Amino acid sequence: MSKIKNQLILAFLLVSFGMTAQMKPINFEEFDLDNGLHVILHQDNSTPIVNVSVMYNVGSKNENPNLTGFAHFFEHLMFEGSDNIPRHEYSNYVEKAGGTLNANTSFDRTYYYEVLPSNQLELGLWLESERMLHAKVDSIGIATQKKVVIEEKKERTENTPYGDILELTFDRVYKEHPYRTAILGNPDHIRSAKDQDFVDFYNTFYVPNNACLVIAGDIDKAKAKEMVTKYFSDIPRGIKEITRPNIVEKPQLSEIRDTVYRNVQLPMILQAYKIPALGDDDYYAVDLLNNVLAKGQSSRLYKQLVDSQQKAIQVSSFSLGLQQPGVTLAFAIPNAGVDNGEVEKAMYAEVEKLQNELISEREFQKLKNQVENDMVNGSRRLATVAENLATDYTYFNDASAVNKELDKYLAVTREDIQRVAKKYYTKENRVVLYYLPNSQKAN
Amino acid sequence: MKRISFIILFALTVVTGFAQLDRSKAPKAGPATKLNLGDYTKFELKNGLKVIVVENHKHPVVSFSLSLDIDPIYEGDKAGYSSFTGDLLRAGTENRTKSQIDEEIDFIGASLNTSSNGIYARSLKKHEDELLDLMTDVLYHPLFPQEELDKLVKQSLSGLKVQKDEPQAITSNITSALMFGKESAYGEISSEETIQNITIDDCKQYYNSYFKPNVAYLVIVGDVTVKEAKKVAKKYFGDWESADVPKHEFQNPVDLDKPIFAMSNKDGAPQSYISISYPINLKPGSADDIKARVMNQIFGGHGFSGRLMKNLREDKAWTYGAYSSLNPDEHMGYFRMASNVRGSITDSAFVETQMEMDRLINEDVDEDDLTLVKNAMAGSFGRSLEDPSTLARFALNIDKYGLPVDYYETYMERLEAVTSADVKEMAKKYLKPNKAIYLAVGDVNNIESLMENISGDAKVVEYDYYANKVARSGLPKGLTAQKVIDGYIDALGGEDHLKSIHDLSMKCTMSIQGMNLALNTYQKASNKICVETLMGDNVLSKQVFDGAKGSMFMQGQKQELQGDMLKEMEYQAMIFPELQYSELGYDLQLLGKDKLDGKDVYKLIITNPVKKETTVYFDAKSGLKVKEVVNLPQGQGSSVTLYSEYKDVDGVKFPVVMSQTVGPQSIAINVNEVLVNKGIQDEVFAN
Repeated sequence: MSKIKNQLILAFLLVSFGMTAQMKPINFEEFDLDNGLHVILHQDNSTPIVNVSVMYNVGSKNENPNLTGFAHFFEHLMFEGSDNIPRHEYSNYVEKAGGTLNANTSFDRTYYYEVLPSNQLELGLWLESERMLHAKVDSIGIATQKKVVIEEKKERTENTPYGDILELTFDRVYKEHPYRTAILGNPDHIRSAKDQDFVDFYNTFYVPNNACLVIAGDIDKAKAKEMVTKYFSDIPRGIKEITRPNIVEKPQLSEIRDTVYRNVQLPMILQAYKIPALGDDDYYAVDLLNNVLAKGQSSRLYKQLVDSQQKAIQVSSFSLGLQQPGVTLAFAIPNAGVDNGEVEKAMYAEVEKLQNELISEREFQKLKNQVENDMVNGSRRLATVAENLATDYTYFNDASAVNKELDKYLAVTREDIQRVAKKYYTKENRVVLYYLPNSQKAN
Repeated sequence: MKRISFIILFALTVVTGFAQLDRSKAPKAGPATKLNLGDYTKFELKNGLKVIVVENHKHPVVSFSLSLDIDPIYEGDKAGYSSFTGDLLRAGTENRTKSQIDEEIDFIGASLNTSSNGIYARSLKKHEDELLDLMTDVLYHPLFPQEELDKLVKQSLSGLKVQKDEPQAITSNITSALMFGKESAYGEISSEETIQNITIDDCKQYYNSYFKPNVAYLVIVGDVTVKEAKKVAKKYFGDWESADVPKHEFQNPVDLDKPIFAMSNKDGAPQSYISISYPINLKPGSADDIKARVMNQIFGGHGFSGRLMKNLREDKAWTYGAYSSLNPDEHMGYFRMASNVRGSITDSAFVETQMEMDRLINEDVDEDDLTLVKNAMAGSFGRSLEDPSTLARFALNIDKYGLPVDYYETYMERLEAVTSADVKEMAKKYLKPNKAIYLAVGDVNNIESLMENISGDAKVVEYDYYANKVARSGLPKGLTAQKVIDGYIDALGGEDHLKSIHDLSMKCTMSIQGMNLALNTYQKASNKICVETLMGDNVLSKQVFDGAKGSMFMQGQKQELQGDMLKEMEYQAMIFPELQYSELGYDLQLLGKDKLDGKDVYKLIITNPVKKETTVYFDAKSGLKVKEVVNLPQGQGSSVTLYSEYKDVDGVKFPVVMSQTVGPQSIAINVNEVLVNKGIQDEVFAN
């Protein structure tokens, strides 16, 4: 049922920087229920609101390759109601209580949240516990949401200029790992899936021992604990085996190049490199390298390609922080009339400089200042803090990682940046995609 | 100094303790919580700059937002210059090049954004001095370098190309132009042409005229005390000199008096981006404001509870999202509903939306729905206070729009007081399905007929990105003249059937000015023909062609055909020349789509190898030829033939009812007999 997903480029950027510590550590308490549900409480009484959220450790990577798109489909289905919540009423309860709600799905996890006035905490817990215990997984809801999801796919990827770059890239970067399949999946799989397939998926993944509940905001911790026990302790532990893909993608041995044609006016030149997973020390070095390249108007790619050489109207470079080895992406939209190959070359020239020379002390200080600024801003909203706690628990089994992330960034040296530039930004490790206007198709 | 605080009103029920779990009922709310709006401080500098300060020490961040309160400006053939001025403000000063500004801002991890309407700057508290230094350098000493303008022009030209593919951008241009008029501040569109007309002097002129403290607000939010803020304001903005700023009269648009049905093309789009828009006279903070917002929220507000969302998404599954917005404005606001819908139901989506508008206008909203929406709005109001800049925005609105000082303090009470009668009244006033622009951006080949389904007598007009009317060629993507001919051949019975016809005889009656004549045509493959006209049993005229020689007999006289006339006969003699147009050397040209008796037709010019042109119309649906126009030599006008009925003979369709008009003369032709492959003797074609 949700409207906003995190699979868009910018949203990913936020995720990679959002899951962070702030200068003041984030305080929280955590405990497990007997059924395996992990609970995190974060108290902040400055505004009378409370965030109730559940992160299920299931994303598109957990899907059966013949039934793709299920994780995201559930994100829709899970608003259809429960044994005690009539169809179409789930969101009404929240909105009537003055709250808001939504959900999002990524390759690695599915996240549901409500932000409510703090005196409605119990309502939020009832709703999430109903969803976990006995959500409505029936043919009416499935039939409606199948169509909605197919429209969503059209809106996001077909009717949005450049909307399919991520799925095109991932399909070329990964040969075996399930990250190669788009989060929205293959529409044919969703279309032809049987109701029982959905029921099985629900019974497998939507269980307390595969979930993390976060309550953040204007709460009394003792009362919150009591309420959590009341609503969640009678939910039975899941008994189906949860498969976790452990596919290690073979190293790429030579550059992969491809061209696609789409209904756009300006081309996009894109490069992707395989990088380590979120949490790995090198991930943070690569992230800072991206900032050198494309954060702010003083960044190197922007300065060179957009400002000085005027070869491009837009450049970007960012990592996708994933639970398993991920991807860093750079792209440029060439200025009208500029040769695509020339733009590609100019992008490599900036990477080569980083491989050949250390960045200056001042530029390095800039990176630190930017990270500090982003960290502080990333912790300003309660909803972000809650999601970061849930993510760190889900990915690393360690919610306290939120307070260690700044250190991870600050531990990166100038030499590290040069080293990762040499290690990952190689021709062999590269996927190059030319995303061209139909009008450039040679007839 | 103003202090505001109040209590959320919708949380009245108090729950004590935790009773036995009953899952069948939603838990009740806990004790009502207090929502503290907080304090803001407002003061004015001697130069007229109004300053609003909101202190919030939760995070070590501070922001400075400078905004101009000036009249909307119509920029005409240089549309875009005010926005360029905003961009160029930070593109170099007397003290710093653009590169230096970029580097210094990024170095402290700050943001500095400039626009035609002001400057926004934010950083960590510890970098405040550097930030203000940069912000005021940009404000007081911009250089407007020519090369930066050139860059901006180049980038904007490329940017326009990208925008032309975006359904939202197309919609915004077309509807603004239709609502407010292209010759107005709110309706004008910057284009390749206007952008290239902009000069450095235009930008300097704009900057010098409008960036004055007496029309500006400075809003300071964050980790700063009021005392510090006063000091900072005086130090950095106290010497900024005031001056009179030009005023501009706002031209109110003319009300739409009937609906407009419009479309715009996006080749091959699987979805249509549909919208309904019209101007509304709704001022921010006016008596109707809250009531009208409640009404809009019920209709198509954000979240999942809007009726559009329930209808178009949850019920019909036609879309991923459908929303409406009501945009109050000091001068003239607008309403817009928009959704990306499956292309094939473009018409139905409009019909359902209209139905939902009518329902709100004519029926009472039930109390449950109303409560839900009011609570959702109250909750959203409460959540927005998590961000301290919300309070600053409230303070700014109070001053800018002249709202009562307790406007936000009493917001909840006024929201709570909205009744279902209010909602109906607002719907009648602000929902105008009969005075709206219905625009669909999608593949016009597919949506034109859908738009015609809902447009009634009104014509569906196609607009381009610049809101210019597009002459409709109306041709489906990929359609060529040869494909129309192929379709015609298929419609007649298919290539195989047509090729199997070796001879053909047709007997017709013609009626010309009350006279009845008979017309017999005999044809034999590959190119023999005989045409005779009879009155009773008398042969009035006869033309023959035996494949090599041709003659014309008239009143007993024989004339042998020569030159072009002979050549022409050779082609006329073929039963179905369409089968081999390209081998014969015909030239085909597809002119476009047209209407004939309310039906869509494709118009072709077919030129035979002797350069004789015929304009031929084929029915878009059936593929059959429906009309033929031949220009007669020496300015004798034209001959128009209409084919109105076809009949199937042995698997091939033949026209059996025709009419031919030459000048003032009209001939009705009825075919009484068609014989196929009966064996015609060669003597029939003898000269």
